[in-house]
Amino acid sequence: MQFQFEPVLAEADRILNGVLLTIGLSFGAIVLGLALAILLVAAKSLFGRWVGLLVDAYVELMRNTPFLVQLFMLFFGLPLLGIRMSGTEAALLAMTLNLGAYATEIIRAGVDSIHRSQLEAGVSLAMTERQVFQHVVLMPALARVWPALSSQFVLMLLASSICSFIAVPELSGTAAIIEQNTFRSFETYIVVTIIYLVLALTLKVALLWLGRKIFPRLSSVDRLDAKAEAA
Amino acid sequence: MNILNPLRIAGTLLALGAGMLAESQASAQTVTEIVKRGKVKVGVLIGAPPYGSVDAQGNAVGYDADVTALVGKYLGVPVEIVQLTPPSRIPALEAGKVDFLVATLAPTPERAKAVMFTIPYSAFQTGIYAKKGVAIKNWEDLRGRKVGVNRGSSVEREFTNREKELNLTILRFEDDATTMQALFSGQVEAIAGPDAQANAAIKARGESETELKFVFGMQPNSMTVRKDAYELKQWLNNMIYYIKQNGELNAISEKWVGGPLPQLPTF
Repeated sequence: MQFQFEPVLAEADRILNGVLLTIGLSFGAIVLGLALAILLVAAKSLFGRWVGLLVDAYVELMRNTPFLVQLFMLFFGLPLLGIRMSGTEAALLAMTLNLGAYATEIIRAGVDSIHRSQLEAGVSLAMTERQVFQHVVLMPALARVWPALSSQFVLMLLASSICSFIAVPELSGTAAIIEQNTFRSFETYIVVTIIYLVLALTLKVALLWLGRKIFPRLSSVDRLDAKAEAA
Repeated sequence: MNILNPLRIAGTLLALGAGMLAESQASAQTVTEIVKRGKVKVGVLIGAPPYGSVDAQGNAVGYDADVTALVGKYLGVPVEIVQLTPPSRIPALEAGKVDFLVATLAPTPERAKAVMFTIPYSAFQTGIYAKKGVAIKNWEDLRGRKVGVNRGSSVEREFTNREKELNLTILRFEDDATTMQALFSGQVEAIAGPDAQANAAIKARGESETELKFVFGMQPNSMTVRKDAYELKQWLNNMIYYIKQNGELNAISEKWVGGPLPQLPTF
């Protein structure tokens, strides 16, 4: 067995573009998916039962169907209804919707862990309903589930590889093209594996740092609790 | 819709890993070794009807599967068919998962650097397909358009070579079925592909709006063996010549492609 990395590394430009697209898709899906999840959790708390049921239906639909099927529905299915989007747009939308559903469920668990007495304390301090939700419910809840959310974000980064199936030239799609051009399968996938590993570990560390920055008032005891819950 | 694909990707990657281990345990390379083992492992393409697809029971059926059955008949051993997707064909062969491929592979010089090919056992015409209302008669008419192609097929190169010159946007899909679906959904304006597969898809879907615009080539397909498997390659060449002469291959062509066996080139 002789390894020849030269033909693979000669395609460095292509690999870089693939990496950038993977990072862009993941970053976009994380930001949009988290925003969507917070909105849905807020809607569940602040509006009536029917809104809550709608949110539950969406969460269950996304969590109980394969990501690939969701992607195919958006890319191949929607054009039948006259809605046509490019592969990259369909990929970003599918990733956002998928991550949004998982994040909604994770944040909901965090919200459920906030004790009633906390809410009463907030109300007795003359906070408005919105203030209570923001300061007493949402932020402490997010702080508690941040490790679980982080691992979901990393999973989404890795799942973005599935988007190569609708011809999105992200890292895995690029790898497949390079494999075709060079017939160096082992070498191509060794390089790609290392890149994914670096991306995922970097994201993990960045999210840990971000968590410490956003939730500085979280006590170390709480942090341990959250770690135990996420494990 | 092919929801098994992620599994196959995982399978390919596992095969790649296994291949490194398999280096030490030599897999059958000669006809004698295959006969001694008592079965022959053949890689067949799926997702490319009428050459290779899967029936309701999950068995591989089509032109390639029938040819594989003849190989088993003349070798005198049972056949174990390993179902593969276009991108996983050569990796599976190199990893020793299969003895050889009967998988609709065009014998191109690029591929021949990595593997060895027998004389062709099938051939199809390759063409550009698009919706009826679209005016496409030649390559020039594709200028600036969004086109789809099966990643890893021999026609992909036709697009890649003209990408800059014609300012094409190329979308590469996993197999012929997904490529056709992209055309039916309007995600691409035109696709390049083999006639037999395209016709099968158009017929199965009742897509009367899709038609052949122009033919740009003929793609003969060869069986594929690992580098250095000279004796196995020679035996397969011998068998292909034999079933061409006795009409068995022509019967398979009539059954699956709906026409007689074309004049197959040899080398």
